[in-house]
Amino acid sequence: MIDRRNWLAALFALGGAAIAGVVGMAAMLSALSPAWRHPRGERWRSAGDTAGFALGKIEPVVVRVGRNDWSRSLDEKTVYVYRRSDDQFVVYSRNCTDLSCPLVFDAGSECFFCPCHGAIFGKEGQPMAGPPKRPLYRYASRVREGVLEIDLDSLPPMT
Amino acid sequence: MAGGIRDWTIHRFGLQPIYDRLLNRRVPRAPWYSGDGSAMLALLGIQVMTGAVLAMTYSPAADSAFQSVVYITQEQTLGWFVRGLHYWSAGAVIVMVTFHLFRQILFAGYKSPREGTWMVGVVLFFCVLFLGYSGYLLRWDERSIHGIRVMLHMLVRVPLIGESLVTFAQGGRDLGPQTLTRLYALHVLIVPLFMFSLVGFHLYLAVIRGTITRAEQNQPVHSAEEQKRLYEEEKSSPTGGEWFFPSTIMKTGTMATVVVAATLLLTVTLGPQELYPEANLTDGSMPSEEWWFWWLSGLIAFLPPSIAPWFIVSLPVVVFTLLMALPFLDRSPVRGVRKRPIWAAIVILLVVIILLLTDYRRRSTFAGWPELHPPPVPEGMALPEDAERGRQLFATYGCNSCHAVAGHGRKVAVDLASLQGQLSRDKIREYILQPPVGIAMPGYEGRLDESELVALTEFCHVAQTFPLR
Repeated sequence: MIDRRNWLAALFALGGAAIAGVVGMAAMLSALSPAWRHPRGERWRSAGDTAGFALGKIEPVVVRVGRNDWSRSLDEKTVYVYRRSDDQFVVYSRNCTDLSCPLVFDAGSECFFCPCHGAIFGKEGQPMAGPPKRPLYRYASRVREGVLEIDLDSLPPMT
Repeated sequence: MAGGIRDWTIHRFGLQPIYDRLLNRRVPRAPWYSGDGSAMLALLGIQVMTGAVLAMTYSPAADSAFQSVVYITQEQTLGWFVRGLHYWSAGAVIVMVTFHLFRQILFAGYKSPREGTWMVGVVLFFCVLFLGYSGYLLRWDERSIHGIRVMLHMLVRVPLIGESLVTFAQGGRDLGPQTLTRLYALHVLIVPLFMFSLVGFHLYLAVIRGTITRAEQNQPVHSAEEQKRLYEEEKSSPTGGEWFFPSTIMKTGTMATVVVAATLLLTVTLGPQELYPEANLTDGSMPSEEWWFWWLSGLIAFLPPSIAPWFIVSLPVVVFTLLMALPFLDRSPVRGVRKRPIWAAIVILLVVIILLLTDYRRRSTFAGWPELHPPPVPEGMALPEDAERGRQLFATYGCNSCHAVAGHGRKVAVDLASLQGQLSRDKIREYILQPPVGIAMPGYEGRLDESELVALTEFCHVAQTFPLR
């Protein structure tokens, strides 16, 4: 037997839950939306004329990200271009594969050094020392009309 | 008349019950170090005040955040002091919360009936760590940007949803304006709000369930009922108990004052944390975390590569789970430090490990870095022509990016002077051309011509005889 008091209590509980659900769901969906609003596609960006890269050398290149939002901050990033042969280019991300610290390339020893936990990578991107086991991230790259292009979306979002 | 106003105020604002139940009550006698909680409460007040002032000027937009911090530090009246105090009291909270946590483990403060107090405390501990981390990201200098990227790289390792977590955390496909703004919201709004309610809850529990007493430490306590009986006995006894106000507050207040005074001293002597160049993803940089996380960084560098990447992601989860489960794992009736030597040993060991790892990270001898200057020749020593050329090549070919010579240069690989003349020229030459498998040194086969190789070998050979510093 449902009396008036229980019935009212149930009504308030249901009503409250409905409001909380609507507000909560909307808030949550809105807050989480960046997670699915930006699927990986292809974003080709110029890394410079191929003529500018010396054979067998690794050089830092600043690439324009072109984010298309309301801020100009962090719109450039450094990548490393390695010209292995006349028509073979390898483009490394500057991220250490351990925890993303910014690698520096030492032209003398032809090694990449990580400032954080002592990782060292060789010219071919192979890990030589420190925590990481994974070789350096490589961007997808192509040459179009004498310009080296890289696909920013070919690597995970934090690289 | 004055008495009339006083009574009216007490009655109309309902102050009497607060006085009766909170201040004018008997509690078991508190030791001096129980003031760590009061110290944290005082520091929290400082954090709120200084944080509010900073938030009035700080610009949580990526284009201007860094400049606004520069303005606060250099131009705003007493801005350096407010920012410095915010920084140093953050460091002090981290030190005190660690002390507080270890003290509870040492004395078994988590046992019945205080499991709830403990569990709320564990959540607060993680809130403090998050604030201590997100705070230095807001400066939006190089240290911030690489700190953010480390966090993102940890998130991406979470199974299945890693990449989505990263896009959620940074607010898009790339690090950008949304990354900073959401960190700002977390640091000044979401986490502090959550934390405030928990601090209130934690204190409420500390009042109604008390904190661990001397009597509980002297004899095994088997149940919450037994604890209650002991507690009541102790607080009413003339020697075992005291009045919360003024006796306990006097002691805890003293410790809080000392800690705050130390924080103020650090602020006026050392000032706010140095600002590094503005956040960018282009320039070479040697970022470091704040000193309170050095132990963690040292640990990552210290662990073998086979476990390090996973260890670092699972560590917070494992520590959180273990701490939450602690009251249910340790069910023995014994409390206090004297009768639980194993726990004392664990805590001492952890403290020693944290200090050693902190120092390990401070020295960072494990990290190589391009070093452009060749190692100096010891005083009173002249190098033959070949060896002198080799000394220059030692820098040209990046040898001293890893090898020190008599203490000069990076210390990743062996210091040549420490070889004490063990290696023959042939051995050195062979080593330079093709280092043994498993050694983290690039082979120079094909990079050096014969004369360079001879010169470099000559220098390495003579460098072995340099006096060690």
